[in-house]
Amino acid sequence: MAKKSSSFGEAFQELEEITAWFERGDVDLDEGLKKFERGLELAGVCKGKLAEVENKVIELKKKFAVLPQEDEVI
Amino acid sequence: MQILSVKDFLTLVNETLRLIPSEAFSVEGEVSDFKISQGKWVTFDLKDEKEDAKMPCFGTVYKITIPITQGMRVRVRGRASVFERFGKFSLNVEEVIPVGEGALQKAYLALKKKLEAEGIFDVSRKRQLPQFPERIGLITSKEAAAYGDFIRVLGNRMGGLSIIHADCHVQGQYAVSEILGAFQSLAALPTEQRPQVIVLTRGGGSLEDLHAFNDERVVRAIFSSAIPVVVGVGHERDESLSDFSADVRASTPSNAAEMLTPSRVELKKFVEMAEDRMNYRLDEMLRSMNHSVESTLRVIDHAFSKTSHGVNDTTMRFTNAFDRFRLSVVATREHIERREKGIVGEFGGVLERSKARIDALSRLVQSVDPKRVLDRGYAIVRSAKGLVRDSTMLAPGDGFSVQFAQGMIEAEVTVKKRQERLL
Repeated sequence: MAKKSSSFGEAFQELEEITAWFERGDVDLDEGLKKFERGLELAGVCKGKLAEVENKVIELKKKFAVLPQEDEVI
Repeated sequence: MQILSVKDFLTLVNETLRLIPSEAFSVEGEVSDFKISQGKWVTFDLKDEKEDAKMPCFGTVYKITIPITQGMRVRVRGRASVFERFGKFSLNVEEVIPVGEGALQKAYLALKKKLEAEGIFDVSRKRQLPQFPERIGLITSKEAAAYGDFIRVLGNRMGGLSIIHADCHVQGQYAVSEILGAFQSLAALPTEQRPQVIVLTRGGGSLEDLHAFNDERVVRAIFSSAIPVVVGVGHERDESLSDFSADVRASTPSNAAEMLTPSRVELKKFVEMAEDRMNYRLDEMLRSMNHSVESTLRVIDHAFSKTSHGVNDTTMRFTNAFDRFRLSVVATREHIERREKGIVGEFGGVLERSKARIDALSRLVQSVDPKRVLDRGYAIVRSAKGLVRDSTMLAPGDGFSVQFAQGMIEAEVTVKKRQERLL
């Protein structure tokens, strides 16, 4: 589950950053190629996550404070 | 007389107090010194407005189900007892009900004012929801329509999420304690299981129905939650104090789902657009790079070809010149040869012709050689006047010479005779 949590949100954010970089128009071809590759990789991860259909519902077993005894007062 | 220990005596007192039937009496008075301790226990003093008398009251989560504020008139039913440890007399509250018309509403407004003054509703403290939560805590009743609505709308928008559901009563005597417990349990989960946002939701209802969501303890639990909280109650116009203290207020349970995640469709569009943009921009970059490489190359090529042109030129000119030279050499040679031949030819020709002429001339000359003529018997007559060709040139008595092929005589004309022309 730890792996999963570093997937969509972070991937999407990084993809946004890379897209913004491209929009800025820095013409460094070397870096551009690297970022492009990484961008496509991230887009793939995002699209994979977006393709997931189901949500999972987990029932929480809760433990509440026991009824306070009378002498257990403030 | 009996000697008792303190404990024993207090036990006696409590037993005596227990003789008062709690259903029989309801104590009416004014709430004062209202406190909540440890988020769960409520204490207040019930004051007699007319007389100088007050009674401490103590209530647990389960019993106090209405918002209680300072100065509020209530009727309390409960069991009087003395807490032995502290030797304190108080009423263990079984039930509290508001007194007077619109008492509940008044209490609600009073509580709202108090919490507002404390800054519980301050916008500045509200936190931003995580953009893409993957674990969502849900506090609501499984039986409530709100539950189904929320799950369904969320499922439509996004997949791959985990919803950690804390099943709670949303009204009634257990509601407040269960909701408080839910907040605690969710916060206590280990990091990888802990939700990144909590949704507290229920359907609409009356002021009484919404008591749990107006409970000061729930409001404070929302306020102090380390995890951002979204509250969605019923319909747009339903409001509760929990709504105001939430980090984000949703108008309905479905709306809560909408606020949590962007729709999958929108996201997919963005990702695809991002891919397109990157492609396009990279292409642009490559083209512009190409362009500048090409124009650099062209500059170099131009410069080079100018030079090479020059070289070419020179080479060509040289080659041409040399060719011409060679040709001219050849031509000259040929010319010379021709001329040689020509000369020879010509000369030869000339010679021949000359020879021929000379021969002809010589023959001619020979043919007209006077000597030859003389040999044929002719004679050359000359007088003092010169060559005599005509008899008229002589008169009788003139002297003349006659040249023969051999020898010559001198004579005198004796008689002239007329003669026809010979030929």
